[in-house]
Amino acid sequence: MNGGGPTIIGPLPAKTSLQVNGRQLDFVAEPATTLLEALREQCDVTGPKEVCDRAACGGCTVLLDERPVASCMMLALDATDRKITTVEGIGSVDAPDPLQMAMAEFDAMQCGFCTPGVVTAAKALLIQNPRPNLDEIRAALSGNLCRCGTYPNIFNAVLVASGQEPVEEPTDRGRSASGERA
Amino acid sequence: MSQPPRDLRAINAGQSVADHATRLDGLEKATGAARYGRDQIKKDMLWVRLIRCPWGRASLDSLDRDAALATPGVVEVVVSGDAGEYHGDSIGYVVARNRRALERGLQALDATWTRLDCKTGILDDEKARAPMGDPSAETAKAIDDAAFTFEATYSTPVQTHSSLETHGLMIEPDGENSIVHASTQGTFVVADQIGRFLGKPRSKIIIDCEHVGGGFGSKFQIGKEGAAGGLAAKTSGEAVYSFCDREEEHLDTGNRPSLLCKVRLGHDADGTIRGARFETFGGTGVSRRGGGARVPSGRFEFGTLDSPNHQDIQFNAGGPRAMRAPGCPQGAFVEELLIDEIAHRCGLDPLALRRRLDDSERRQRMYDVAADLIGWENRADTGSQTGTMRTGYGIGTCHWGKGRAPAKIEVVVHPDGHLEVRTGTQDIGTGQRTAMAALVAARIGVPLANISVAIGNSMLPAGPASGGSVCTPSTAPAAMAAADLARERILAGVAEREKLDADRLTIDDGVIMEGGRKVIRWEDACRRLSEPVSVTGEFDGQASAHWGEGSSEGVQAARVEVDCETGQIFVRDVIAIQSCGLPLVRKTAESQIMGGVIQGTSYALFEEQVLDPGTGAVLNANFENYKILGSEDCPRIVPVLWRDDQTGVRALGEPPVVPTAAAIANAVFNAIGRPVRDLPLRPDRVLAALAEPMAERVVAAAPRNADLENRA
Ligand code: FES
Ligand code: FES
Repeated sequence: MNGGGPTIIGPLPAKTSLQVNGRQLDFVAEPATTLLEALREQCDVTGPKEVCDRAACGGCTVLLDERPVASCMMLALDATDRKITTVEGIGSVDAPDPLQMAMAEFDAMQCGFCTPGVVTAAKALLIQNPRPNLDEIRAALSGNLCRCGTYPNIFNAVLVASGQEPVEEPTDRGRSASGERA
Repeated sequence: MSQPPRDLRAINAGQSVADHATRLDGLEKATGAARYGRDQIKKDMLWVRLIRCPWGRASLDSLDRDAALATPGVVEVVVSGDAGEYHGDSIGYVVARNRRALERGLQALDATWTRLDCKTGILDDEKARAPMGDPSAETAKAIDDAAFTFEATYSTPVQTHSSLETHGLMIEPDGENSIVHASTQGTFVVADQIGRFLGKPRSKIIIDCEHVGGGFGSKFQIGKEGAAGGLAAKTSGEAVYSFCDREEEHLDTGNRPSLLCKVRLGHDADGTIRGARFETFGGTGVSRRGGGARVPSGRFEFGTLDSPNHQDIQFNAGGPRAMRAPGCPQGAFVEELLIDEIAHRCGLDPLALRRRLDDSERRQRMYDVAADLIGWENRADTGSQTGTMRTGYGIGTCHWGKGRAPAKIEVVVHPDGHLEVRTGTQDIGTGQRTAMAALVAARIGVPLANISVAIGNSMLPAGPASGGSVCTPSTAPAAMAAADLARERILAGVAEREKLDADRLTIDDGVIMEGGRKVIRWEDACRRLSEPVSVTGEFDGQASAHWGEGSSEGVQAARVEVDCETGQIFVRDVIAIQSCGLPLVRKTAESQIMGGVIQGTSYALFEEQVLDPGTGAVLNANFENYKILGSEDCPRIVPVLWRDDQTGVRALGEPPVVPTAAAIANAVFNAIGRPVRDLPLRPDRVLAALAEPMAERVVAAAPRNADLENRA
C-alpha cells in the first residue's frame, strides 16, 4: 500500500487471477500482459486466437460479462473482476451450444481459425438480440474476418440457432436448363 | 441438430457422395477444442523472432548484440547478415524465454540502418515502360488483316495470402525424437525440410498438423521462421515456438505477384479475333521467378497468337509464392475483360461472343444456367444507364487440369465395427478428413458415424501436399481401394461362416445382405475379428479405372451495383457453377466454391499491397490497412455443383477463385460503360473511369478494310 493511492502493480510479474468460463485461474505475469496472452500463454485457454493482435480481425473475441471484446486490446489486469467467457465456455464437443451445433451443421467453417471468434461474437449478438435479422448479423460480425470465406454459412447458422429460417437460396431454376442434373 | 435443416440448395441435392454429411471436426472447431500449431504453447518453451530490415533496401550500420544478450530472458542472438534487400528481409534471429523478453531483446538490439535506393514495382523497370514489341510477321499479318485493331494495358496488384494462422512451427523434444507442430500444407514437406536445421535424421522427426489455420499456397515450405525455429531447437535442446506475427506474415511469407499486361489484337466486326500479342510482366519482388500469368488461358479462340512474351521483373519486396490458382485470376481478369471490351466494340452481347470463342461443350451449357440464375435478361446495354446507382452483369470462366500424385490410405477395421481411416496428408480446411470418411463409408456401405479419421501426421501413411488441387483427386482412389479391401475381408469371413457366395453379398446402411435377405449386421460381422484388421489402399499417381472421366470447368456470373457518386461497388450476387468430377461431400464442396468466390471478390475490390515508392516500406502490412472482404461486403453466392456424367474425383480447391474478379470487372464495365483495367476496382478508379468518354463502339462505322475497298 502506498498512502491512500491506488495499489501499484508491476513492473515485475505480479499475481493475477481471472474468472474464465466459471473457473478461477491464477497466474503470475507482467502487468503489460494482454488478456489474450494471459488466456493463451498462462491459462492454456487457446480457443481465442491471436491473428492480428490489434483489434482488426475478431479472432481473439471473448465475452466480458456477456459483451464481446477483442482480448488482444485489453490488459489482463483490467479484466480481473469480470466474468470472462471464451468459446470453450459457450459449449463443448460433448455439450455444444445450439449456435455451435448450427455452425457445424451449416459448415460455417473451413480452416476454423476464425471460428472461435465468430462463435463468440455471434453469441454476444444473440444474448442482446435473440432474433437478429440478416443485416443485424452482418453488422455484428463485421469485425470478424474469415479468410476462407464462410460468411454465408455463418449467417445461416446464426439465423437457425435463433430459431429462424436460413436465408432463402434459390432455387431449382437452373435444373431444367441442364438435363443431366435433374 | 435433431432435425436436419431444410436443404437450402436444392440445386445441388443428389449430386455428391454424401449430401448431408457435416464436417467431422465441425464441433471441435466451433467449440475451440481444435488445437492448431499456433496453439501449442508451453510455459517453458523458447520464443523466436527474426531480425528484419525495416526498408526496401538498407545496410546495417550498427546493432548491439551484447545489450540484447544482457536482457533478462534472452538466451541467444544470431546475426548472419548486414543488409536487407526488402522490407521484412531477415539478418538473424533472437531467442528468449518468453515473448516479453523477446520484445525487449529486439529493442535492446537497437539496430540502425542506412536506407538505400530501391525499386518498388513493375513500372520501375524500363522494359515494362517501353512500348509494346512487334508481333511476329505471321501475327502482325493476322492483326492487319482484321477489320479493327485494339490495344490496351491491364494491371493487377500484389495480393497476400493472409491465412489467419500465421506461418510457423512449434518444436518439442520427445526423447530421441522431435515433434514438430507445423502450420503447413505439406506434412511430408516439413518432415523433409526441417531435419537439416534440427540436425536430426528424418526417422527422428514427427510432424503434427492435425488442424491448420488456412493455407492458400504459401505453406509448402518451412520458411525462414521455420529454419530459425529448427536451429534454435537444435542449439537449446528445448521446446521452441517460432511463428510470424501479422506484419511478418504480410511481408515475408509470399504473395500473388502483380501483373502488367499489354495486349494488341485484330478483330472483325462480328467479334472474331484474328490475331493477338500479349506481353506480360510479373512482379516478383526479390525472386527471379514466379510472376507468370496464364493469359491467354486457352479457353478462347484468339486466332494467330504470338508466342508467349513474359518477363519477370524484380524489385525490392518479398517474393511470390504459389497462391490459389497461381497466375490464373490475374490472367482471367485481363482476358475476360478484353473479351467484353471487344463485344462492346462490336455491339454484341458478351455472352454471345463467349459462346462463339469458347469451344468447351460443358461451359456452353453452363452459360445457359449462369445466365438464367443471375437474370441476364435484365442486363442493360453497356453504358446505357444514367443515374447514381447503376447495375451491371458480368461473366467469367475457368478450367483446371488433372493433376495427381501418389497417395496411400490405411483403413483399420476394429472388432466393434468401427473403421479408422488413417492418412498423413493434411486438412487445411478443404474438408479432406470428411471427404475420406464419407467416401470410405459410402464405398463399404456403412453409416458415416462408424468412421473416424486420423490425419495430419507424418507417422501416418504418406499422402500429397495440398497444392495444385491434387489432394482429394489423389487420395480418393487410394481411399476407395482401401475401402474395397476392408469390405472384401469382412464379407469373405461372413461368406465362409454362413456358407454363402461372397460375390452375392452387399452391404446396405450397415447391414450385410444376400439378395433382399438380411444376413448379419456389419458390427456383428466385425465382432468375429480377433484383432483389428488393417488394409492399405494405394494410388500410384497414374490414371486408373478409379480416375474416371472429366475435368474441372466453371462459369461464374456476377451482378453488381455501382454508386457513380462515390465510385463504390457493391457485389450483390455471384452464381458460381463448377464441375469437379464426382463431388464427395456436398457441404464442404459448396464451401470450397463459396470460399473461392469470396476471395475472388476480395481480390477484385480491395486487396493490394502498397509499397512506399520512396523508402520501399510496405505501408499496409496488417489487417487494418490491407483490407480483405468482411461480412458486410459479402455477396449472395449460389454455388452450383455441376456433375454431368463425370465419375472421377476432380480438382475443386483452386478453380472457383479464378473467374470471380473477371466477372465482377465485366459487370462494372457493363454498369458504367467504361472498363476499369486495373485491379483492385477502387472507388477512385471507378470515378476516374467515369470521367473518361464512354467506351468506343466500332461496328456502327464501316469496317476499315471494307471502307478501303469501297473507295478503291
Ligand atoms: S487478434 Fe485481436 S482482433 Fe485480431
Ligand atoms: S474458416 Fe478459415 S478463416 Fe474462417
